Amino acid sequence: MDRHLHTGSTDLPVILEPTYKTPDPLGFSRWLASLPLWTFPVMASLIVIWPTIASAQTAYSTSAALGILWKWLPLLVTKGFAQNILISLFTMLFGTLSGVLLGLGRVSDVGIIRKFSWLMVQVFRNSPWLVLLFIVMLTLPFEIQVGGSYIAIPDWMKAVFGLSLPIMANIAEIVRGAIQSVPSAQWEAAESLAFSRRQTMWQIILPQCFKRMLPPWMNWFAILTMATPLVSLLGVSELVTLSRQAMEAEGNNPSLLVPFFGFALLIFFVYCYPIARLTVRLERKFALKG
Amino acid sequence: MIELIQEYFRTMAENHPKWNFIFFYEPRQWERVVSGLIVTLQLSVVCVVLSVIIGVVGALAQSSPIRFVRWLVQGYIQIFRNTPPMIQLLFFYFALGQFTPTVTGADGWTEQPIISNVGWAIISLSFFAGAFNVEIFRAGIEAVPKSTQEAAEALGFNRAQIYTNVTFPLALRVSLPSLNNNLINLVKTTTQAIAIAVPELLYEMVSIWNDYSSAQNAAMTVLFFAYIGLVGILALGMNRWEHKLMVPGFGKNS
Amino acid sequence: MKTLSTLTTAAALLATTASSVFAQCSNDTWNKIMDRGTIVVGVKADTKPWGYLNSDGSLIGMEADMAAQVAETLGVELELVGVQSSNRMQFLEQGKIDLMIATMSDRADRRDIVGVVQPNYYTSGTNIMAPKALGFTDWSQLKDKPVCGKQGAFYNKIIEERHGAEVIAFTGNAEAKQALRDKKCVAWVYDDSSIAADLASGEYGDYEMPLKTEDDNPWGLAVPKGEESCVFGKFMSGMQYGWLQSGELLELEEKWGIQQSQFLIDQQDRFVDWLSE
Repeated sequence: MDRHLHTGSTDLPVILEPTYKTPDPLGFSRWLASLPLWTFPVMASLIVIWPTIASAQTAYSTSAALGILWKWLPLLVTKGFAQNILISLFTMLFGTLSGVLLGLGRVSDVGIIRKFSWLMVQVFRNSPWLVLLFIVMLTLPFEIQVGGSYIAIPDWMKAVFGLSLPIMANIAEIVRGAIQSVPSAQWEAAESLAFSRRQTMWQIILPQCFKRMLPPWMNWFAILTMATPLVSLLGVSELVTLSRQAMEAEGNNPSLLVPFFGFALLIFFVYCYPIARLTVRLERKFALKG
Repeated sequence: MIELIQEYFRTMAENHPKWNFIFFYEPRQWERVVSGLIVTLQLSVVCVVLSVIIGVVGALAQSSPIRFVRWLVQGYIQIFRNTPPMIQLLFFYFALGQFTPTVTGADGWTEQPIISNVGWAIISLSFFAGAFNVEIFRAGIEAVPKSTQEAAEALGFNRAQIYTNVTFPLALRVSLPSLNNNLINLVKTTTQAIAIAVPELLYEMVSIWNDYSSAQNAAMTVLFFAYIGLVGILALGMNRWEHKLMVPGFGKNS
Repeated sequence: MKTLSTLTTAAALLATTASSVFAQCSNDTWNKIMDRGTIVVGVKADTKPWGYLNSDGSLIGMEADMAAQVAETLGVELELVGVQSSNRMQFLEQGKIDLMIATMSDRADRRDIVGVVQPNYYTSGTNIMAPKALGFTDWSQLKDKPVCGKQGAFYNKIIEERHGAEVIAFTGNAEAKQALRDKKCVAWVYDDSSIAADLASGEYGDYEMPLKTEDDNPWGLAVPKGEESCVFGKFMSGMQYGWLQSGELLELEEKWGIQQSQFLIDQQDRFVDWLSE
C-alpha cells in the first residue's frame, strides 16, 4: 500500500512510505527471545569474574563478595524482586482497565469525552514517569476512610497508582490504534444489521482488537517491569532499595556493587525472557494476513 | 514589578502555610530553580546533538558487511531502548565510573575523574536516545527509493553529492516526526539523572522541599507544569519545523 | 451550707478549667496503640549501626533496640518500619508510624511538624569523612570543592552557605560513600557519630574525620504533633529520661560498637539520683 506522489507525469514515487514509524512494539521482546540460552550463564560468570578485575582498592575476594551476595539472596528475591513483580502486576491491572476506558473515550462520538481523553493521554504520555511518581506518592494519603473504617494504602500501592498513569495513557493509544485498524467495513456491516454503537464496539470490534492489542500490551508489561526500580528513589522497598540497604549493612565495600546490581539485572532478564518468547510466539500466532 | 510578585507569594505563604512558593520570593531558592532548569536544558541539548551523531554512525554501521558489527549494533539498540534509563545511569556512573582515568588535582592528591556525574549522565542518556535514532535514520534513508538515487546518478551527481543533495534532505523530512518523539522522550528522561545526583530541575526541587517542607506542594505543582510546558514548547517548535519542511502532498504519518 | 456551695462551685470551676486545658488531648495515637496491641515505630534502614537491615529482612540496630524497650514497657507488640530522612516526618504526620526514632536532628522547623519531646536522647554534630591523604584541617578548605552528602540532611544547606562547598546530594548513604570511594568528591558530610561508627568498622582505613565538629545538634525522637503534650508525649519523655539516667544508652553504644559519647556520660551525671550510692 504505497502512497505515491503523483504529479501526473510520472508514476515513480518521490518518497516511499517509510517502513518504520514507531519503535517496533515488540522490539525488546524479539531481541530477548532471540538470545541463545548460553547468554545467561555467560552473564552470570561475568558477574563472578568482575570483582577480581575491579578489586583495585578492595579487600574482598571474589568468593567473599559472592558469599555476601549469597547471604542476602533469599531476602533480595522474596522481599525485593517479588515486590517488583507485585507492583508490575497491579500496575498493569489498573493501567489496562483505565487505559481501555480511556482508549474508548478517544474514539467516542461525544466531543467532550473525546477531547478530555485526548488531553489525559497527552498529559500522561508527556510527563516524566519520575515526576508523576513523586506527585502521586507525596499527595496520596496513606489511608482512606471508607464508611467507618480506615483502609491503609501501603507505599507500594501508591507507587502502583503513580506508575499506572503513564501506562494508562500508552494502553489507551494501543487500544485506539487497534480500534482504528479494524476495517470500516465492519462498522458499516454492523450498522446495516441494526447493531447499536455500543453493541458494535463490545461484540464485534473489541474482540477483533484483542488479538492485535495483546503483543504490544505484553511488550509494555516487560518495559514496565524493567522500570519498577524507579520507585526505589521514593523509598518503596523493592529489589534496588534492598540491595542498597544490604550494601550499607555490609559496610559499602565497592567490590559489592557489581555483584549486587549485576544480580538485579540478571534476575530481571531471567524474568522477562519467557515473557518475550511468549510474546513473539503470540504475535506469530495472531499475525493477520494482509 | 518583581517586588509585587514577591510580596504576593510571601503573603500567600503566610496565609496558606502549605503553599509556600518560596522560590518565587527568595532569590537564593530562585537561583537554584534556574540553575536546575539550565542543567536540564543543557543535558537535553547536548544529548540531542550527541544522540543524533550516534544515530548516524549506528545507521551506517547497520549496513556494514561484517556480521559481527551488525549483531553488535542490533544488541546495542535493543538493550538501550528497552532497559530503564535509571539502571543505565547507575551502571555507567558506578560500575564503569570505577575505570575512568582520573586527573590529579592541584593539591597533588585529589583525583577528579575526567568524567563527572553530569558527564556520565550525558553519555548514558545520549546512548539511550541514540539507540532510537539509529532505527529512525535507517528507516529514513531506506524510504528514499533507489530510483530517485539512480536518477540523480544519471544526471551526473557523484556519491557524496547524491547523499547531501538528494538522500539526506528527503530522509530528514521522513524522520522528523519520529525524531520529534525521541526528543520529547529525552527531555522526560533527564529527570532520572537524579539517581546519580545530577543537579537538574527535579533534583533542585527535591532539595528545596527537603529544606523547606512547607514548599513541597508548591514545588511539585511548579515541577509538573514546568515539564508539561517544556515538552509543549518543544513539541510546538518541532511541529512548526515539520510543517516548514513538509513535502507538499505527502502529508503526515500517523 | 455556704461552704459546701462554695466548695462545689470551686470544684466545678476547677473541673471546667482543667478539662478545657486538657480538652485538646484526645490521645488518639496512644489509644490506637493500646487497642491494637502493637506499636509501629519508624527506624532507619540504611544507617548502620543505628538502624539497618539484617539478612533475614528484620531491622536491627541501636534505635531498633530502643524501640523494642518502648514496646516492652508499654506491654505491646513491636512493629518496625524502615524510614529514610526524606520521608520520616511525613510518615509520622500521616499516621503511618506511631513513633519515630530515626537519627533525626532536633530543629526548630521540624518541631513545627512533629512532636519532639525532651530530654534529647543523643547528640551529634556535623563533620566530614575525608581521605587521610588530603589532610584537611579546616572547614574553609572545602570551599568550591565537591562534597558528597545525602538528600534531606539539614546541614547540606549550611555547609554550602557557610563554607561554600558544593554539596552533591545522593538518595542514600550507600551511593554517597561509594562516590567518595570513587574519588568523585573530596569528602562525605554527615553526622560525626555515623562517621565515627564507619571508621571504627575498619572498612575505611584510609579515611579520617579531621575537622572540628560543627553545629552540635541534639537528636530528637518524635511522636505525632497532637500527642506532644499528652499521654504519649509525656511517656516518651519519661523513657528518654530513664535511658539517660540509667546509662542504658551507653550500654547499647557498647553493644553496637559506637564510640562512647561524652554527651551520654554528662547526661548520666546530670540526672544522677541524689539518694543513690
